[in-house]
Amino acid sequence: MTGLLALQSAPLPRLAQPAIVAAGVTYFLGVAAIALWASRRTHTTADFFVAGKGIGIWTLALASMSATLSGFAFIGGPGLVYSLGLGAVFFVLPASMSSSVAAWVLAKRLRLLAEVRGILTVPDAIGARYRSPAAQGLSAVAILVAIVGYMATNVLALGLVVDAIFGIGLGWGIWVGAGVVLAYSASGGILAGVYTDLFQGAIMALASTLVFLYALSSGGGFSGITTPILAADPAFLSPWGTLGPLAALSFFFVFGVGALGQPHVIHKFYMLRDPARLKWYPLLMTGALCLTLLLLVSVGLTMRSEVASGAIPALVRPDDAMPRFLILYAPTVLAGIAFAAVAAAIMSTVNSFLNVGAAAIVHDIPKALGRAPTPALRGARVATLVLSVLAGLVAQFSGMLVAFLGIFGWGLFASTLVPALAIGLNWAGATRSGAVASIVTGLAVTLVFESLAYFRLYSFPTGVTVSGLSLVLSILVFVVVSRLTAHQARDIDADVRLVMEV
Amino acid sequence: MTQQTRDLLTIVLGALLVGAAYLSAFLPGGAPTAAAWLMLAGMTLVLVGLMMLGARRAGARLGRLRWVFGFVVAILMLCFGGALMLAPSEGPGALLILGLPPRAALVMIGVGVLPALVLPVAYAITFDDQTLRPDDLASIRRAAEAVREREG
Repeated sequence: MTGLLALQSAPLPRLAQPAIVAAGVTYFLGVAAIALWASRRTHTTADFFVAGKGIGIWTLALASMSATLSGFAFIGGPGLVYSLGLGAVFFVLPASMSSSVAAWVLAKRLRLLAEVRGILTVPDAIGARYRSPAAQGLSAVAILVAIVGYMATNVLALGLVVDAIFGIGLGWGIWVGAGVVLAYSASGGILAGVYTDLFQGAIMALASTLVFLYALSSGGGFSGITTPILAADPAFLSPWGTLGPLAALSFFFVFGVGALGQPHVIHKFYMLRDPARLKWYPLLMTGALCLTLLLLVSVGLTMRSEVASGAIPALVRPDDAMPRFLILYAPTVLAGIAFAAVAAAIMSTVNSFLNVGAAAIVHDIPKALGRAPTPALRGARVATLVLSVLAGLVAQFSGMLVAFLGIFGWGLFASTLVPALAIGLNWAGATRSGAVASIVTGLAVTLVFESLAYFRLYSFPTGVTVSGLSLVLSILVFVVVSRLTAHQARDIDADVRLVMEV
Repeated sequence: MTQQTRDLLTIVLGALLVGAAYLSAFLPGGAPTAAAWLMLAGMTLVLVGLMMLGARRAGARLGRLRWVFGFVVAILMLCFGGALMLAPSEGPGALLILGLPPRAALVMIGVGVLPALVLPVAYAITFDDQTLRPDDLASIRRAAEAVREREG
């Protein structure tokens, strides 16, 4: 399943035109200015990892949206819709409810836990909930494993986008892109991250909305887009596309429930200045997500429609759907904004990964091993640098390995974190043994079966996804082991219990 | 049996149904038609079970939120279930609803649009009395103060 989620890995059409380069330069200058402003306000590790718990609800919502959507929403997603039909929309269909679900299940508990404990990371929350360094350390390891691969695929995609805009070659594209993200991530931490995310999120939503309107206009409205497709390939517009109902619904399950376990998104709840403002989180986040996802659906369908009506030849690669659409149908300025939006989507995700990964290295793992977390900002900045270089090296030199590493990120987050957090923060009967067992189950099932599939040794039958299966198994293991070790359930600190009861 | 235990059982039952849907795909001849229904019922139970568990205050009933979560169950079962049950009608000259064939429109508008309009508003409307009351914040801040004093 998640192979479908692998980001762009083949070169994009070259776009080095003056207007597009100008839009790209303007975008990068905007990011640099915000980063400079934020880096001067980053003085403590709390500033670096949780933005000093001082951001407003608009910033939270837009930063969460831009961290949620990587370049997949702009490049891979339209390509999937172009090739799989409406079945591909099941990857993003849960966006209509996932922010509300996260708000009911996690937002209040995590934010209040940050209020009583001053926690900085998602593994911190697990450690506090279960009084368990082992659970905290294991969750940090799972996050780190997922992040390195996920980040490498994003850095590779960023390199391709930078190369497409500026025409400087993939190698330079990777290091220029990674260097820019590193510069603001290391200097300003998540404080720079969330405010650049705000800027990037606004560009993403604007570009997506404009491209959507152009797609409708060039296709002659929605009926004008779908009519040629229905004539050529009716199954393409069946509700499941070419996927079939079991696979499509399975994606809805994985992405609907798995959204609760994405650490680079949910740890932003800690950063909100006033917990009472969470009231507006689902409204703003859902609105921003839905606007930004308009492009994914409309461009994929429009390009399929144009091919079906014979207006253009079939695309060589599905991932060309968005670049070809922009070149053929959008004004050059909009193409520039849209490509800046692709870079924005990737950079905001990479920045969030860098921050969460650096926290795992300097904060969570040392804490789990009984050592004091690495002091001050220096350690966090060094860890950010190391992770960036590692991701850049993997992106440039690992060949097909980068696609493999990117495959299991989402599923690993979901299966290792959803039970311990989403259920554990709301159910007093959950135990540390249950949390540890579920994290180990998620790690083992995901790594073993994704590896077997990658090396073509064993694959699940159609409709069964490794992410879905590992999520189900880790939920069941979590509940069963917690029931078997029910005597541990009394070990909840009074302040944490209070957070779980309000 | 407490309300919380019921929420948890809902999640477990849902996970078992999703697991059964996956297992059925290993049968000779591939997944039977019932597999999609098992997946639909299972994922609905897991999602709504999680929402109920998260929204519930200690020992309290869900109040107005039960209508919201009932809406989620209804929308998922009716829209996805409808798409599973209705005969395919996609093809040249098909009836189009907002540009989409009926089954696709049921899923895209029913699941993709309606919850985005209803759930965030329901969350905001019920927030002050069911999610985070002013006295909750006061008691949390007292607890935080106690932790700070204990840790010096």
